[in-house]
Amino acid sequence: MKLIISLLLSIFALSNVNAQDCERIVASCEALLQEDGGSFISDGQVYTAFLDREKAEFKTTFYGGTTYRIAASAGDKENYVIFTIKDPKGNILFSNKNYKNAPYWDFKVIETLPVTVETELDLDLKVTGCAVMLIGFEK
Amino acid sequence: MIRKILLPTVAVISCVSLLSSCGDSETQEKNTIDEEVFDPNSSLNTIFDGKIFSIPSPVQTAYLIKSLDVGFDATLLNDNSNVGDYITEYQQALNLGIYGTDLGYSALYEEKNISMKYLNSVEKLTAELGLDAAFDTSFLKRFEENSGDSDSMILLMSDAFKKSDNFLKHANRKSTSALILAGGWIESVYFACELNAKKQSPDIERRIAEQKQSLNSIIDILTEYNKGGSNDTLIADLSDLRLSFDKIIMNYEYAAPETDEEKNKTTFHHTLALDFDQEILNEIKTKLSSIRSNITKA
Repeated sequence: MKLIISLLLSIFALSNVNAQDCERIVASCEALLQEDGGSFISDGQVYTAFLDREKAEFKTTFYGGTTYRIAASAGDKENYVIFTIKDPKGNILFSNKNYKNAPYWDFKVIETLPVTVETELDLDLKVTGCAVMLIGFEK
Repeated sequence: MIRKILLPTVAVISCVSLLSSCGDSETQEKNTIDEEVFDPNSSLNTIFDGKIFSIPSPVQTAYLIKSLDVGFDATLLNDNSNVGDYITEYQQALNLGIYGTDLGYSALYEEKNISMKYLNSVEKLTAELGLDAAFDTSFLKRFEENSGDSDSMILLMSDAFKKSDNFLKHANRKSTSALILAGGWIESVYFACELNAKKQSPDIERRIAEQKQSLNSIIDILTEYNKGGSNDTLIADLSDLRLSFDKIIMNYEYAAPETDEEKNKTTFHHTLALDFDQEILNEIKTKLSSIRSNITKA
């Protein structure tokens, strides 16, 4: 019985540590939305995934006439996360992998576009952990 | 037998916990966790979203409306005196999304008195939903202090909704988060439909048609986090709305993007043609108005 309680407590402790770790990453990711004089307004959502050698992806719409910033973080180093943007035909429009895993990038959108955003950890730098992404827009 | 299995498991998990809690060194961040512990089906891996959904901010449509010199229309807003009638978490979350969009819309037009009334409604619902941490006294004070500055109000409001979203996801209340997002989306498209009916605008019509992907995401997120089937009716109504959106034809043409590495900026040069007519827009307007009315009625 004691062992079962210990096991449950350990699982709880681990969950808690992961949650705290994620919270810290959210804070550093928020700062990226304002970096280099950016004045991006958050879309009001926090995209969080606990990645273990896998990709997380989501679909969203970038509206025409807007500039967006995508910011991503997975820890203290700024280059842990690779994010890739694909168009409705699956063409890769952008990947920060080609730009030293830049932690944020701006996108000027002239015409509206439904996109798929894929997120993964750079396995050469980090294998498992919490990845956080934020999307901001400039009116 | 149980002891034989549990002892090593406890030891492994305890070690991992210990390692994870000892500062932020790079060595530690590179640590991998035992494959057995990280079985993809284990409960440890379900702490965060397995699936991620994204709904564009409803404030963006309000910005578009304002940029077209369409005057402020207070009759579009959900009556703020209804707020006390929303009793269940389901009603409160959906109407928080609706009131949040109303607040954003009135703040953008610098309608100070109306903004304050809707801020009050938002505050009441966030308190009921246990989101006081995001909409705390510091937020309320700052919002009031900036009540003449639409950009600051929008920024503060978006940050508060982001904090709520983060809190709800971590508290495993993703169904509540999904309902807030759905309410916000419904209200912003409702505004667009109603304003376009009053004064037709090609830009607003296009923005309505562009909601096709977002509606799919809304249905997906409500289906994924459908606590006890509570979203069934809403999902059915939105699925019916989707039948109308499916009549809109999207023709996308790829063009190579252009990247300015120095500025960390990429410009997209594609084209997206949307084919739809007034009949489709009227259908969308009628269905959406009915869905919104079912949500806002007490």
